[in-house]
Amino acid sequence: MTGNGQYDVVIVGAGVVGCAIARELSKYQLRILVVEKELDVGMGTSSRNSGVIHSGIHYAPGSLRARLNVQGNAMFERLCRALKVKMNYIGKLTVAQDDEEIETLYRLKEQGEANGVPGMEILPPHKMQAIQPGVQGKLALYTPSTGIVCPYTFTIRLAESAHINGVEFLLAAKVTGITVNKGLFHITTHKGHKISGRVLINSAGLYSDAICRMLGIDEYKIYPCRGEYLILDKRFGHYLNALVYPAPHHGKAGLGIHLTKTVDENILIGPSNEYVEEADDYRTTREIMGLLIEEGRRLLPGLATSDVIRSFSGLRAKQTPPQVGGFKDFVIERRRDYPNFINLVGIESPGLTSSPAIAVMVRDLVAEVLFLNEKPGFKEELPGLLGYFHEQPQELKRELISQDKDYGEVICRCEGITKKEVMDAFQNPLGVRTLAGLKYRARVMMGRCQGGFCLPRIVELLRREFGIKPQELLLHSEGSYLFTGNVR
Amino acid sequence: MVSKGEIERDVVVIGGGPAGLAAAISAKEAGAKKVLLVERDKRLGGILNQCIHDGFGLHWFKEALSGPEYAHRFIEKADQVGVEVMLSSMVMAMEPDLRIQLSSKEGLLSVKAKAIVLAMGCRERTQGAIMLPGTRPAGIYTAGAAQNLINLQNIMVGKKAVIMGSGDIGLIMARRLTLEGCEVVGVYEILPYPSGLPRNIQQCLVDYAIPLHLSNTVIELHGQNRLRGVTVAQVDEMRQPIKGTERFVECDTLLLSVGLIPENELSRSAGVVLDPVSGGPVVDDTYQTSMEGIFSCGNVLHVHDLVDHVSEEAERAGRFAARLATGEQRPAREFIPIRPANGVRYCLPQRVSGGGDFILSLRVISPVRDKRIVVRDQTGKRLVSKTYFRLHPAVMIRIPVKAEKLAKVKVLEVEVTE
Amino acid sequence: MRKRLICVICPNGCELEVEYEIPDGKISVKGISGELCKKGPKWAERELVSPVRTVCSSVFVEGGELPLVSIRTQTPIPLERIRDLMEEIKALKVKAPVKMGQVLLENPKGMNTKIIATREVRAVP
Repeated sequence: MTGNGQYDVVIVGAGVVGCAIARELSKYQLRILVVEKELDVGMGTSSRNSGVIHSGIHYAPGSLRARLNVQGNAMFERLCRALKVKMNYIGKLTVAQDDEEIETLYRLKEQGEANGVPGMEILPPHKMQAIQPGVQGKLALYTPSTGIVCPYTFTIRLAESAHINGVEFLLAAKVTGITVNKGLFHITTHKGHKISGRVLINSAGLYSDAICRMLGIDEYKIYPCRGEYLILDKRFGHYLNALVYPAPHHGKAGLGIHLTKTVDENILIGPSNEYVEEADDYRTTREIMGLLIEEGRRLLPGLATSDVIRSFSGLRAKQTPPQVGGFKDFVIERRRDYPNFINLVGIESPGLTSSPAIAVMVRDLVAEVLFLNEKPGFKEELPGLLGYFHEQPQELKRELISQDKDYGEVICRCEGITKKEVMDAFQNPLGVRTLAGLKYRARVMMGRCQGGFCLPRIVELLRREFGIKPQELLLHSEGSYLFTGNVR
Repeated sequence: MVSKGEIERDVVVIGGGPAGLAAAISAKEAGAKKVLLVERDKRLGGILNQCIHDGFGLHWFKEALSGPEYAHRFIEKADQVGVEVMLSSMVMAMEPDLRIQLSSKEGLLSVKAKAIVLAMGCRERTQGAIMLPGTRPAGIYTAGAAQNLINLQNIMVGKKAVIMGSGDIGLIMARRLTLEGCEVVGVYEILPYPSGLPRNIQQCLVDYAIPLHLSNTVIELHGQNRLRGVTVAQVDEMRQPIKGTERFVECDTLLLSVGLIPENELSRSAGVVLDPVSGGPVVDDTYQTSMEGIFSCGNVLHVHDLVDHVSEEAERAGRFAARLATGEQRPAREFIPIRPANGVRYCLPQRVSGGGDFILSLRVISPVRDKRIVVRDQTGKRLVSKTYFRLHPAVMIRIPVKAEKLAKVKVLEVEVTE
Repeated sequence: MRKRLICVICPNGCELEVEYEIPDGKISVKGISGELCKKGPKWAERELVSPVRTVCSSVFVEGGELPLVSIRTQTPIPLERIRDLMEEIKALKVKAPVKMGQVLLENPKGMNTKIIATREVRAVP
């Protein structure tokens, strides 16, 4: 039974890093358990970011961030193809407006070269415009290896790949205590699970310091730093051919408010930068959203407030307090005090980009203490379609409908999602039964009507096809019930 | 040219709600032989299916019917006159050459039409679009979605509700929730006057002693998992919250009734020109859009408050669509643009050919009393002048205009005056 | 005494001003203004003395394509008896098929009206 028992490796935290590690380790003959306190994977920072696969120009040569970013970036395409995750090396222009910023560009390019970032070019205005019409600036640093990916789809697929290769996932279980006895870690959860593992990996993100403290390791503290975003209607997607960022200002934390494009053609405005007290304070604020919409109006002609689909926020797991600010390098260590404890702390940007490379690095650390036998029959690829049904070529669509009529019934008008996709998403391998889980897998309710049309239809579908009682349905977490009962 | 695997129809109506039904019936009655009505739901009737309250049909049938009853009469008529219906079929794309792509359990189908009538209705303005600050708990619904869940699926959404916006849907739901045992703490309206029809204020709020707070709005959501309350505040003339007036209101449900948006995604992607104020296509006096052969009516054209008016408008649109489909030639004329002026938020049609009588629909910007609506031409001459005891943005004004008045007219303006 | 009422007969929603007295406990209307038609004053008097409403709601259906059938009172009932009526409506269960206009309940709690179905609900096999 999942949860109680002995494992070779226990991974705490099913974010993109934890799931990438799980998948990497699932290539070996190991009993692996991932413990996650939320009801789904990737519910923290992993699903709440710009989805950018960074090039690696921003990080100091020799740092873990620089190295893992560039390595991870190069691994992304192949990994996404295997996992059936849409991605696109869309390229990025970092634009300088004055001489000081131009100097910064050249410094960044040098730094990029030292880090092994491929294909960089300094572009004059006419070449900038050829890539991104209308962009204003004196010079731009073009990084063709910058890409975009859907961060939650990526995380979910990593988890599903790990799962299909034998990794067990224990969701909705919060780790409450860790003791060490006879070379084993003994982990308890708030639901009373008793888990033991030979190797413990801490990828708990915003709560990685809490996990450390359970082992008496006091040297780390996470300072959550919130970034708010606005999501804009897909009809603005065509405005961006490449990502456009302003050149970073010296001393300013973060990359500044900018526009990014998602693989689904939405535009994101953000993120902002604000330290908050709690590691679950995902509130959006009037002030910041006002700033974001103003920025959007400035950059996108004809933007109306009804073009804003949704706002959301993410929290960066910063290691430095507000008064210090800035960035610290990733902490990825196999501890001296606990030789079988692999500790990851402060994996903020470029965590997503680095995740495949982090997984390999962690595997090497695990190999220092466990014997890794390759697993014959490791399933590299995940089954399924790349992209949604409506994105498939016409011929394939016809064939799919003839095989399964439910591909013909469209449930989500805004995003063109079919009944079959909704059903498959609900019957996902990890057993996630929340509405948010359905959203992140099938993309329903993520369009401009935000479920106004499809929510009732989805509820009806779940009731009819799976016997789900409306009172049982949760939005995203324990206690997030949607309905209180029947009318009659 | 009709491609292989494609079917042909004279008139295709997109949407089987009140607008689509009336348009399809009218198209058949006007002589179009093959009229196809496409509906994404598994039954006809559109939004009327969930509007179980009465007040529909006071003009059209001289009776006070509920939504389903009103729809039923049109559904029966559509069947009688031989309208072809495809249910559970979604229009995925519409092309300028009058082709539509449908998706249903039967597969993908291409339909080549001689005329198309857009009758897709509207969607509700969302929590995201109004950028409501705070947390993201469960318990927040647009009023229409809640209405669907309650009336069609027997699902209760909460126990204690706050309603944001005093539009008709919010008012109707305030009453519904109260009668079904969900306490309605209050209705909070950002404007200094109610957005919905006065009689709904009476029948839905006053009757049940539900407080209406004008010049108030919800400024923050609270609760991590399920809503546990909202912060409301009074607003100033710029609709900005006034510091010091914030108060916490405990509730587990928030219903948003903050506006309807004509659902013109299909129209937009086909290249139909939209009027940013009405939210729907720019049309002429035959309800033809900027694209030849594509007509529009009902809520997708502009948001209505009375379904009777939807039926009138759609009946006209369907008739003209049929005439086009059956090859009737329209004499080429210069269009006369009609512009909203002082006090008028928008008016429709936005241009007329001058070849026939038409109905001018309009909404005023703010509530006023004892005023005139005046339609004048480029010389200032008044073609129409009507006094109104009361004008309210929530009540659509409809004024018939006779063709003979348009003889020497080049431009028309519509305004509110003394 | 004066009371302002919004007439609900038609979408005009005229604001009526009613002047009335209450000599020995019974309301006596003295004057009405603000109406655009003849029905208004009659309605206003009624509304003041004994207001009535048409009630629209839902009744539980067993074995139907929909779980609820929308209903309304065939004639308006006294405003103060709506809660009573709701009790009856909530307790009622009908079996599919239900026809449009079908009478589901007569004289609920002694009120002189019928509960009629405002839509059809077909039985599911």
